[in-house]
Amino acid sequence: MHGQAIEKNNMLHLTVNGKRYALEQGSRSDQVAPEHTLAYTLRETLGLTGTKVSCDEGACGACTVIMDGKTILSCMTLTIECDGNSITTIEGLSDPTTKKLDPLQQAFIDHTAFQCGFCTPGMIMSAKALLRENPAPTEEEVKEALAGNFCRCISHYHVVKAVMAASVKSR
Amino acid sequence: MGDKYRFIGKATPRRDATEIVTGGTRYLNDIQMPDMLYGKVLRSPHPHALIKRIDKHQALALPGVKAVLTWEDVPDWRGGTPRHTRVLDRKVRFVGDAVALVAAATEGIAQEALGLIAVEYEVLPAVFDMEEALKPDAPQLYEEYPGNRVTPGMPFFGLNSLTEIVMGDVEQGFGQADVITEGQFGYENLPNPLPPEPPGAIALWEEPNRVTVWVSNQASYMDKITLYHVMNRHVETRSIGGPCGGSFGSKFMSWQVQSYAALLSRATGKPVKLILTKEEHLAVFTMRPASRMRAKVGMKKDGTVTAVEGTWLVDTGYYSMTTQAQVAVGCGEVQIMVRCPNWALQPVIVCTNRNASGIVRGFGGQELKCMLIPLLSLAMEKLAIDPFEFLKKNYVKPGDGYVWRDGNWYTYRGVDYAAAMEKGARTFGWKEKWKGWLKPTAINGATRRGVGVGVHGNADIGEDASEAYVRLHPDGTAMLFSCVTEHGTGQRSNFIKMVAEVLQLPLESVSLAPADSLINPYEFGPAGSRGTYAIGAAAIRAAEDAKGKLFELLAPLLKTRPEELDTADGIVFVKGNPEQKIPWRAMSIDRTITGFGRFEPDYTLSNCMMSFVEVEVDTETGKVTLLRVVNATDVGQVIDPPGLAGQLNGCLGSGGIDSAIFEETVLDRSTGHILNANLIDYKWRTFPELPTIDNVVMETPFPSHRFHAVGVGEIATSPGPSAILMAISNAIGTWLHAYPATPERVLAALGTLSHGEKKRGGA
Amino acid sequence: MRPFTHYDAHAVEEALTLLKRYNGRAVLNAGGTDLLSALKGEYLLHYPEAIINIKTIPDLAYIREDGDMLRIGALARLSDVVNSPLLRKRYNALAEAAYSVATPQVRNMATLGGNLCQDIRCWYYRYPRHIGGPIGCLRKGNKACLAATGDNRYHAIMGGKGCFAVCPSDTAVALAALNGRIKIVGTRGERSVPVTDFFHPLGNELKRGEMVREIEVPRITGMVRQTFLKFTLRRPVDFAIVSVASVIAVPRGRCREARIALGAVGPAPVRATAAEEWLKGKPISEATAAEAATAALTGARPLRMNSYKVEIAKTLIKRALTS
Repeated sequence: MHGQAIEKNNMLHLTVNGKRYALEQGSRSDQVAPEHTLAYTLRETLGLTGTKVSCDEGACGACTVIMDGKTILSCMTLTIECDGNSITTIEGLSDPTTKKLDPLQQAFIDHTAFQCGFCTPGMIMSAKALLRENPAPTEEEVKEALAGNFCRCISHYHVVKAVMAASVKSR
Repeated sequence: MGDKYRFIGKATPRRDATEIVTGGTRYLNDIQMPDMLYGKVLRSPHPHALIKRIDKHQALALPGVKAVLTWEDVPDWRGGTPRHTRVLDRKVRFVGDAVALVAAATEGIAQEALGLIAVEYEVLPAVFDMEEALKPDAPQLYEEYPGNRVTPGMPFFGLNSLTEIVMGDVEQGFGQADVITEGQFGYENLPNPLPPEPPGAIALWEEPNRVTVWVSNQASYMDKITLYHVMNRHVETRSIGGPCGGSFGSKFMSWQVQSYAALLSRATGKPVKLILTKEEHLAVFTMRPASRMRAKVGMKKDGTVTAVEGTWLVDTGYYSMTTQAQVAVGCGEVQIMVRCPNWALQPVIVCTNRNASGIVRGFGGQELKCMLIPLLSLAMEKLAIDPFEFLKKNYVKPGDGYVWRDGNWYTYRGVDYAAAMEKGARTFGWKEKWKGWLKPTAINGATRRGVGVGVHGNADIGEDASEAYVRLHPDGTAMLFSCVTEHGTGQRSNFIKMVAEVLQLPLESVSLAPADSLINPYEFGPAGSRGTYAIGAAAIRAAEDAKGKLFELLAPLLKTRPEELDTADGIVFVKGNPEQKIPWRAMSIDRTITGFGRFEPDYTLSNCMMSFVEVEVDTETGKVTLLRVVNATDVGQVIDPPGLAGQLNGCLGSGGIDSAIFEETVLDRSTGHILNANLIDYKWRTFPELPTIDNVVMETPFPSHRFHAVGVGEIATSPGPSAILMAISNAIGTWLHAYPATPERVLAALGTLSHGEKKRGGA
Repeated sequence: MRPFTHYDAHAVEEALTLLKRYNGRAVLNAGGTDLLSALKGEYLLHYPEAIINIKTIPDLAYIREDGDMLRIGALARLSDVVNSPLLRKRYNALAEAAYSVATPQVRNMATLGGNLCQDIRCWYYRYPRHIGGPIGCLRKGNKACLAATGDNRYHAIMGGKGCFAVCPSDTAVALAALNGRIKIVGTRGERSVPVTDFFHPLGNELKRGEMVREIEVPRITGMVRQTFLKFTLRRPVDFAIVSVASVIAVPRGRCREARIALGAVGPAPVRATAAEEWLKGKPISEATAAEAATAALTGARPLRMNSYKVEIAKTLIKRALTS
């Protein structure tokens, strides 16, 4: 019964953006070590660098991804604890074959809802999770849903407009 | 206005928009290279100490460790102004100062190796207060700076760089005053611009003396210049700038982290990536200077300022690279805000044992005004002068002038901003909300509302030189070579717009070369709001130059003179007879045409932004809520409306307005530790706390370049902080002069705090 | 983060066995939002050898009424606490407190048990190793407490003993007003302690090898008014500077029972018993609320930089009672 996960099966299964990954546990660069965060695995092991790390302490939301329908902080999540989970990152929002953007992404472009853009993937993931649960939010609900996303350029006003525009479209 | 141009003034998607919203933008930390190593820095536990001994054997023995460097291993590379701060030194001068560098196969190994380096220190007494540091028996940080006074003057600004404001006769000025007020004011809370992306660098050294550095900087060409000086002027640096995840000025000086990566690459022969953690970003990278001022002002009943006299102490932390420049520009900017014939303002830059100050939006002027406006307010109160009227009256007018950073007098030849200020005041409802000094706008139970106003402007919108090439291709496309990175302002897209407008090409036919110093000419970079005017002018001139050469080449084919020609959409045609035309490809497919443009510094124009704020103060908790902001400016011509709105909204970020409400770096002044070096304890504005904001933008054509525009982005943070304190003081009916206005300070100002210092603790 | 051994526990007993085996060198991980920050900052006296994931324990995230008790499994996420119709209807002080925690993402990860067991926020204690080394303090076996004389703006105004860090948990404050208890399990059995007794000046009630299994709250019946107020510099993200939870029953205009808990004022949530007693039988008005607030804070002994917290605490009590 001790350390079952490691002994029973040395593989870790993740679904990222619809694609299934079987990752070995270990300390090589293509493996997952216990101390690897999900942000690290996404960025360094799987090469999905769209997810950003800013504070690395769970305060800024730059590393936000959607796991099993909920926004989580990938910098505060151990990859080893995500076995069997399904994760959506910013790379997974546009259509994998046509590359057509998600309406939310298009709304961010149309409203120039970013400045430096570093916080934008996290913002879009938070907004995406909101619109999935609540396709027609109020402005206040948008602000609450984005309450854990740090932006220092102050793109907030444009972001709220973009999310509202995307919500109207999706109705 | 909008119809005058095909692209200028219209909202067009940012060139990099798709990459940004899909996560495809490659910021510095997204770059991977084969064989890349990772760098980490061992940092000092002491605010001031000599390194007696370093034992790195254990660290070197750790598998995966490729290099461990200490002060004994590195060349005499130095930064600072004058050049004095060694890249690694035998002496450490603040908690977090660099002691040793490690390169290893992974970040984890590098981190582990840091713990295996044994260092023996001889701890020295430290000093954390600027006035203490000036005392004769204070601990001395540098031999080069006796008395901890930093050498005044910025050599980059010339031999007469501005170090003080001395003009007229202050005694006479005070004699003419109806009211004289004086006091001590501070702006010492060390706000951090705090871009989301931490500073860092990747370096690849090539023997014997060449280094390529991948940087995250708003002004990547300048890294080449800065590192050239740091590295003793014999290392050839190529800087490659990419998308920059925010800078707000700060990353302009990243020479330390860049030098660390370069030294580790030099030691290992491999590319080395060194990215600071957010904790390091907050605790060891640069932040705003701390300022303290003792001053006296004289004012007449009509709001004329007759004299300003005082001392401006600037705490630069453990070293200064640009603080002298901030003092110079701040001294210039304050003259733009206050027309006064008699000045005696003496800055003193002081070193203390804390993390260094550096470049931040507002660049000296914000710091100075955050102290001077409260002092002027005391005089305005005595004379019952409306601060809006005062600021409008005193702001620089065409024909006025100022001594700028190089010590020379410039006569302002821009527009009168009074109209924009008036329009802002109407939008805000200033006349209805202003009830007089120390009078609330409204009272509702325990909450009181108050209003305030501030202003800032900067003649650096034409500072320094810019150069650009524009290359025309036979397929009817053009490429701009201007060493500019995208750091959030949208300027890379805006320069494309300008070139497209000059050449009348579809936007998608114009591209911009990567910000690589190897292929681009000199570029000071977007700083001080200079992008729109200075960089824009170079791009415009390069496009015009290329167009002229194109016409020279094609005129004979159309059997006319070049002056008779015009172009649009890759076709050259005869003015007045568009049917007489020829495509660009007539230049021949084995040819390109390159135009060159250069901008020479021009300090005769200044931008301006006035901010009106309304706050609500809860008098029972001391909590300050920002309800409304109106920013008013005149930019001559809007280039990109959403981009401009974003810049103005930026007043709420990067150590701006909130440096008066909750932003501060908390330094333990007995040990030198920065206590809130994380994004929970360092406060920043969140979505649920957004005030209502309106940006009033006028477009009175400026005598700048062909689009008559000037930039304004940099100054957005600057009018707000003093306006907030003014609004709070008015709301609570008593002066509050400390930044930020914490609940404790508000309650203390209200006289609510009954508890003195009792028996410590809780039990 | 430095390496550690990782286990997924599939039953409470398995987690306890592992804890026992590691004898203080292993820690439990639920939501991870506090633990990972400690591991990254490396400011703890001992870096754990093993991390035991308890999210893999089934059936420990329930929220249900069971006879005369509300029972919440330790692994219930804060977002579940926020969104539970039962809690919103009958225990809304707890739902409000949970909503006030951190950010939406954190609430999707963090658990109620974790919120109660999280480490203190003292910025001397949490000073990161990588910027010159951690700062020693009583909790790390040193004698000195820099907070006692240093920047203690957020520290205790009552109840501090040697350490002046405050209990950072918002839900603990609501639970204190709801007379909540924390059920602790160890290899030698189970016990339950009132929330107010769970927190100690230098740690908490958990002994080596124990974990929190459940939170229990006496069932709320009849008309009671519940309030949770949290004072911060900005919302959200922040930990409380002061918070207040109140549960009051005022049938026919007279206070039958008042329970008032103060948060972030001391090492544990503090029940304002003097104020509660004083209010009994009185009408709730601005005047009585102010009296009660004064009574609640008579024992406060602020440090050099935090007397403002006393005023804020009084204000919050007043507002909680009259809201």
